[in-house]
Amino acid sequence: MPIPNFQPREKGSDNELLVRILERVQRDLPDAVGLAITVHERGHDPEMTVMAARGFGREIVQAQLDGLGGPVVDAVTHQIPVLSLDLWTDERWPDLTLDQMVARHREHSAAWSQLGGSVAVPGVWEADATVVLSCTLDRPATAATVNTLVGYEQLIFAAMLASGAWDGTAVADMMAVLQSRGAIEQAKGAIMGCLRCDAETAWSTLRRASHESNVKLRTLAVALMEHIGGSPAEQPAVGSPIVPDEAARKAARLLWAVLTHAPKPVSAGN
Amino acid sequence: MTDAQFRVTLASDDTTPVVVASGDIDLANVADFSDAMAKAANGSTALTVDLTEVNYCDSAAVRALFAVAATTELTMIVAATGPIKTLLGISGLDRVAAVVTME
Repeated sequence: MPIPNFQPREKGSDNELLVRILERVQRDLPDAVGLAITVHERGHDPEMTVMAARGFGREIVQAQLDGLGGPVVDAVTHQIPVLSLDLWTDERWPDLTLDQMVARHREHSAAWSQLGGSVAVPGVWEADATVVLSCTLDRPATAATVNTLVGYEQLIFAAMLASGAWDGTAVADMMAVLQSRGAIEQAKGAIMGCLRCDAETAWSTLRRASHESNVKLRTLAVALMEHIGGSPAEQPAVGSPIVPDEAARKAARLLWAVLTHAPKPVSAGN
Repeated sequence: MTDAQFRVTLASDDTTPVVVASGDIDLANVADFSDAMAKAANGSTALTVDLTEVNYCDSAAVRALFAVAATTELTMIVAATGPIKTLLGISGLDRVAAVVTME
């Protein structure tokens, strides 16, 4: 599989759209001392790159990437939002300290001593690449800070697409993930209608069928919709569609046969 | 499977509303989880979410919990050991919401 290329078109200069987005984030978070958009791409060297930054965002994230650790690194590693009330004293990152930061950039010592909490939110694309939006504040971070950053996920994704910062493979991967969410919802709906069950049962049915057939859930969902519809699923305008192979089609046929012959549950009250 | 995955107990005069969750919480059912928490927290300043029977939470579930913690005094009940307690520590959710551990 080709390795996605995330290099900005103009090397050495921040992506302008991303910088504009960070300006907007700054308006929402006037207490932010540093903001950054960092990209992680598996198999690339270096794996993590700061794509755009504002304030002291670049220095703060680069220190984390250079081995001191921190919320941005953990957000990529664990693929979840990470919050810190006080970056320099957080026991999760014993090496990320005020002293270390002063040693790295003595000229900004005054700023470093003002720093408080920090938040890093990864995009949930599930592909081989992760985009992390992070902020560092002059006060402790709150749950609302996480919410604010989460709200920019779609905008950042759109900006990355529009800027051409991603090559076709990476875009196709991510479009497939986004597209499959729709297919999974449709497949769940079909199963609910068939079994007259709730969403949870439909989900576990689909997941079990995926496990038993060893076919990816999203592929099985697309195959099931194609089987029911009797024609290829609607093709997206962008990205590469999911094309189920014979194994997936077979699993979908089997699942549908089981579903349509399963006894209907007797509704409560009868 | 008869029990709902997200059981809601609404607040009474002197009790906090509770959502008892079980199984996996991920992108597929996080909307149901959020709905259950919104329904339970309606008009209340505090919410307790029991996660002791939850095996797995993905990023979407963690976001949903942060979103609730932003507007509500959130208390989470978790098993003393296991992935959920670890997840709260890694994400820092345990710093903006109360965590009660059950042996």
